Amino acid sequence: MSRPRLDPRALRLARQVEGGGKRPRFALKADPPALHSRRRDPRLLRMRALVPGARRPRYDWKRDAASGAPSAVPAVDPVPANEPIRVESPAFWVLAVLDQSTGALDETDLQLLSVARRLAGDEGGVVALALADPVLATAGADRLAVWPASAVDPAAAEARAATVQALVESVKPRHVLCSDDPVAGGDIARRLAAKAGLRLVSAVNSLTADGRIGRRAGDETWLQPAPALMTIMPGSFAADEQALREARPLELPPIAFEAARLANIGLLPVDPESLPLDETDFIASAGNGVTDFAAFAEAAAALGATRAGSRVVCDAGLLPRDRQVGASGTVVTARCYLALGIAGAPQHLQGITGVRHVIAVNTDLHAEMIKRADLSIIADAQAVMPALARLARQRQEKP
Amino acid sequence: MTGLAIVVLLSLGRHPATGRPRRNPDDARALATALALAATRSGSRVLAVHAGDPRAPVLRDYLGQGLDELTVLDMPSGSDPLPSLREHLVALSPDLLLTGQRAENGEASGLLPYLLAEALGMTLVPGVVGLDLQGDQGRFTQALPRGRRRQIEARLPLAATIPAGTAGLPLPSFAAARRGRIVSLPALASPDPHLVAIERQPWRQLPRPQPRRLKGSAIDRLKSMTGGGEAKGRLLVDPDPETAAAQILDRLGEIGLIRASHQSVTSRDTDGRTER
Ligand SMILES: Cc1cc2nc3c(=O)[nH]c(=O)nc-3n(C[C@H](O)[C@H](O)[C@H](O)COP(=O)(O)OP(=O)(O)OC[C@H]3O[C@@H](n4cnc5c(N)ncnc54)[C@H](O)[C@@H]3O)c2cc1C
Ligand SMILES: Nc1ncnc2c1ncn2[C@@H]1O[C@H](COP(=O)(O)O)[C@@H](O)[C@H]1O
Repeated sequence: MSRPRLDPRALRLARQVEGGGKRPRFALKADPPALHSRRRDPRLLRMRALVPGARRPRYDWKRDAASGAPSAVPAVDPVPANEPIRVESPAFWVLAVLDQSTGALDETDLQLLSVARRLAGDEGGVVALALADPVLATAGADRLAVWPASAVDPAAAEARAATVQALVESVKPRHVLCSDDPVAGGDIARRLAAKAGLRLVSAVNSLTADGRIGRRAGDETWLQPAPALMTIMPGSFAADEQALREARPLELPPIAFEAARLANIGLLPVDPESLPLDETDFIASAGNGVTDFAAFAEAAAALGATRAGSRVVCDAGLLPRDRQVGASGTVVTARCYLALGIAGAPQHLQGITGVRHVIAVNTDLHAEMIKRADLSIIADAQAVMPALARLARQRQEKP
Repeated sequence: MTGLAIVVLLSLGRHPATGRPRRNPDDARALATALALAATRSGSRVLAVHAGDPRAPVLRDYLGQGLDELTVLDMPSGSDPLPSLREHLVALSPDLLLTGQRAENGEASGLLPYLLAEALGMTLVPGVVGLDLQGDQGRFTQALPRGRRRQIEARLPLAATIPAGTAGLPLPSFAAARRGRIVSLPALASPDPHLVAIERQPWRQLPRPQPRRLKGSAIDRLKSMTGGGEAKGRLLVDPDPETAAAQILDRLGEIGLIRASHQSVTSRDTDGRTER
C-alpha cells in the first residue's frame, strides 16, 4: 500500500477554524477540491470569504476566491452599518425645504429629500430646513436647520421665506428645492424668487442621467440644467431608501424680517362628507360584509371619516357612485383606509395602492384585504361598528 | 364703505388633454370672485387686464362672465408680460389684485402674481377660495391640501392667487360676451430671456417612479422610520368588539387622524360644493 496513513488528530487540527467562540469550529472541506471543478460550491465560496479572526462570522466576497487566500488588502473593519456617513466640507450644498404638513415627514418630504440627495451625488451635501425629526438622518440629510419659532405659525409665510433667504445667503447652496404645494413650499419658493430675484423653475418632474431636470409644459417636456431654485412635483419621484447620515444641527443665521402682515385665524372645521374621495385624508369604507348602514354612518361620523364603499355596495345603491373606491371608481390617496367587510378584490385594491395605513375588519382570515392591512381584525363588522362609534364619542368627551 | 379698485389678471388657458384654447379655470374663478365682491361694495370697479393678443377669441368668454370691459396690453404671444403689466398696474394702484394660481401656457410657474405683488408693495395670500372684506381688513379662506381650510387675516392692499377648485367654471353668457368691450393698448414686447436655454421634447407620460433600494437591512430602516414598527401587520382574531374598537382608535391616534375638532363638525363649505 503506497497510500500514506492518515493522522485523524492532525487533520482535525488543520481543519479547525479560528475565532469559533467557546466551542471549537471545524471546516470540513479544508482542502479545496480541484480549482477547475465545473460545479460552483456555495459552501466552499462562503468558507473562503470568511474573514478570520472576527468574533461573529464576517464575509468578504471580494477576496480572491480562486486562491482561497485573503486579498492583498488587509481586511479592515468596514464602517459598521449603523455609523452615519459624514460629510465635512462638500463641493456644494443642496437645500431641501420641507413642508411636514402633517407635523411629521410624509411621502412628499421624503420624495423631496431623495431628489436633493440625487442632485447632491457623492460630492455634495444635503441641508434640510425642517421641523426637527429624528427620522431625517435616515432620510438623507447631512445637516439639519430647524425652523425658528417665528416661522412655525401657519400664516408666517413671509417669515419662512425670509428664513430660507437668510439660509441661502449663509450656506450658498447650489440648488434650493421646495415642494410644489401652492400654499406651502411652492409659496415659499415664489416669495423667495420674487424677493431675491431668483428664477424659479416649478413642477420639476424628472431628472435625466446627465443631471438635467425636466418638467411638463403643455404637450412638451422642457429640459434644462438644474436651476438654483425649483419646486418638485409630488408623486413624480420615488422616495429612495437612504443610507444613514448625520443630520447634524446647523445654526441658522440671523433673519432680517419685518413685521408679519398675515395673521392666522385658524383651521375651519370641514365636514368630511363634503370632501371628494381623492382629497380626503381618512376613509371608512364598507363592503358586502356590512349590512347595518346606519351603524356604518354613525361610526364614520364619530371618527370624522369620509364614507366610501366597494363596488358591490355602490351597485346596490347603498352609497352614491362617486363614493366607490377602486379601478372603476376613485383612486384614493388617503392617509388611512378603514375597510369594513371588504374582501379586497384586485379591482378594489388598485384604488388604494397609494394609501399608507390600512385597517381591515373582516370575518374571513384569508381575505386579501387582511394581507394588505397593517391592523387586521377578524370580527363581525356589525358588532365592531357600534362599539367604535361609542368609544370614539366617549374619548372625544373625556379630554 | 368706499368702493374698491379690483384688478384681475386674465390669461389664456389651454385644455390639458386636447390642447384647445380655453379660459384658464383659475383666472375664470378669480374673475367670478372679483365680480361677486364688486357687487357687494358700491362704487367698486373691476379692472380686468390681459397681456397678449387682443383678437384671441377666448377673451370673449371672460367677457361673457359679466365683465363690461377688458383691457388688453397688445403684445405677441410668448413675450414676457411682466414689464408691461407692472407698469400698467403701478399706474392703477389697485386695492386688490386677484390672479389665478398658475397659467396654463408657457412657463406657468405661478410666479407672476408674486413679482407684481412685490413691485406694488402688496401683501400676498395664496390659494384663496373665499374672501370677506370689512373696511380695509380682509379675511381669507385658504384651501390647503386634503380638503382642509384655513382662515387668514390681512390688510389692503392685497394680492390673492385663486385656484380653480373642483366646482365647474362659471358659464359665459352669449349676450354679455357680445356686449363687453375689449380695449387694446399698445405695449412693449420683450422676449423672455430665460426660455432660450431650454431643450423641448414632445411630452410623454413617464413610468411610475420606483424607489431605489439599498442592500442590507431594510427592515431596520423601516422600523426606524415608522418608529418601532412592531405593531405593523397586527392581527387580532375574534376580539370582543370593545377591544377591537379600542385597537382601531389607538391606531388612528398614532397616525394622528383623531382630533378633538371633530366634535364640532359643521357643514361649512367654502367651495360651493353641494352638500350630501
Ligand atoms: C371590470 C371590473 C371593475 C371593477 N371595479 C371595481 C371597483 O372599482 N371597486 C370595487 O370595489 N370593485 C370593483 N369590481 C368588483 C370587484 O371585483 C369585487 O366584486 C368587489 O370589490 C367585491 O366587493 P366586496 O369586497 O365588498 O364584496 P365581497 O367580495 O362579497 O366580499 C365581502 C367580504 O366581507 C366579508 N364579510 C362578510 N360578512 C362579514 C361581516 N359580518 N363582518 C365583516 N366582514 C364580513 C367577507 O368575508 C368578504 O371578505 C370590479 C369588477 C370588475 C369585473
Ligand atoms: N399674459 C398674461 N396676461 C394677464 N395675466 C396673466 C398673464 N400671464 C399670467 N397671468 C396671470 O398670472 C397668473 C399666474 O401666471 P404664471 O405666473 O404665468 O403661472 C395667471 O393665472 C394669470 O392670472
